[in-house]
Amino acid sequence: MADFRLTADDAGQPAGLIARAKLGDLDAFDQIMRLHEKQVLMTGLRLLGNMEDAQDAAQETFLRLYKSLNRLPDVLEMKSWLYRVTVNICNDVHRQRGRRKAEPLTGPEPVSSHPDPEKAWSEVERERLVEMALQTLPEKERAAVVLRDVQGLSTREVAEILGSSEVTVRSQISVARGKLKKFTDRYLRKRL
Amino acid sequence: MNCSDWEQEITAESESVALEEHLRTCGHCRDFAGEVERNRAALQAVEIHPTAFDAVRLRVLNEIRAKKQRGAWWAWSAVAAAACFAILCAAVVFQSWKNPAPPKPLIATKNPPKIERTPAPGPPVMRAHHRVHHHFGPVTASAGPAHNPEPLVVKMLTNDPDVIIIWLVDQKGDSL
Repeated sequence: MADFRLTADDAGQPAGLIARAKLGDLDAFDQIMRLHEKQVLMTGLRLLGNMEDAQDAAQETFLRLYKSLNRLPDVLEMKSWLYRVTVNICNDVHRQRGRRKAEPLTGPEPVSSHPDPEKAWSEVERERLVEMALQTLPEKERAAVVLRDVQGLSTREVAEILGSSEVTVRSQISVARGKLKKFTDRYLRKRL
Repeated sequence: MNCSDWEQEITAESESVALEEHLRTCGHCRDFAGEVERNRAALQAVEIHPTAFDAVRLRVLNEIRAKKQRGAWWAWSAVAAAACFAILCAAVVFQSWKNPAPPKPLIATKNPPKIERTPAPGPPVMRAHHRVHHHFGPVTASAGPAHNPEPLVVKMLTNDPDVIIIWLVDQKGDSL
């Protein structure tokens, strides 16, 4: 069993909250959503690259959670279940819309309030570049690197969520980081 | 190992001592490791406005409420349909109780004739010193109901108790 599974205490969701949600108490379900919304929405945002799609994915994820409350084998597995469903939904969205081609970079405006505007601009630019680069990765690599580097999960946890072996996930993460590096290098060199 | 091999070690988050030693001496791989780390930091630099969370929760709760309402509407529709069906059934039963169906016509016979069975005709008895008499047809009793049968009386009852149809038929089924 993975170490990252939430216990009822550290999740702040006592069994009573889950039980109330199962009985149709929407306030209780709202509390459960608040506990997991950052995890779900941030994962969706990184996997899909824009807030609108990420919100749609998060909405679908929580609706599936509501439908599956009675079927979840263990309430303590809710966190990994949510990751798995979020990744699956985002992969579906990606397949539906096709791989989005990297748009030509139109650099953001420099941040004048930053002590070093050039550096601040570079950071914002890099964030955008990395976000674009993510969308060019195969779905397995994208999910692996997002769960590992954005959500901070261990390789073992990522492997469990994605249903792969640790060796496979480690390789996917390594390859994905290399591709991100090449992508950002290409744009940053052009700029220079 | 060349730098390309070390780069793979870097992206794989190797914690080997050899990699650390190589990073101390190789500026190219140090830059590579720094870039990878900056990319990771850029990935984590996600700031989501609280209203985005609120919007998702609101949409989810509205969707659940709407589904509940749709479910309730269907439940009420089903109850209403069942009630209509029950009322319809009750009306049919009441109507049939009030106007019972006409009784089936009774067929009765008066003095049903007794059918006497005649023995099967045996082979003609032939005696040498008597003349042979040929009989054509079965040998039956000379007198009896078969020769002079009483007619069958078929009485048919109708809805009107004052009207009875009486039908006389012979043994062969012909009307008289």
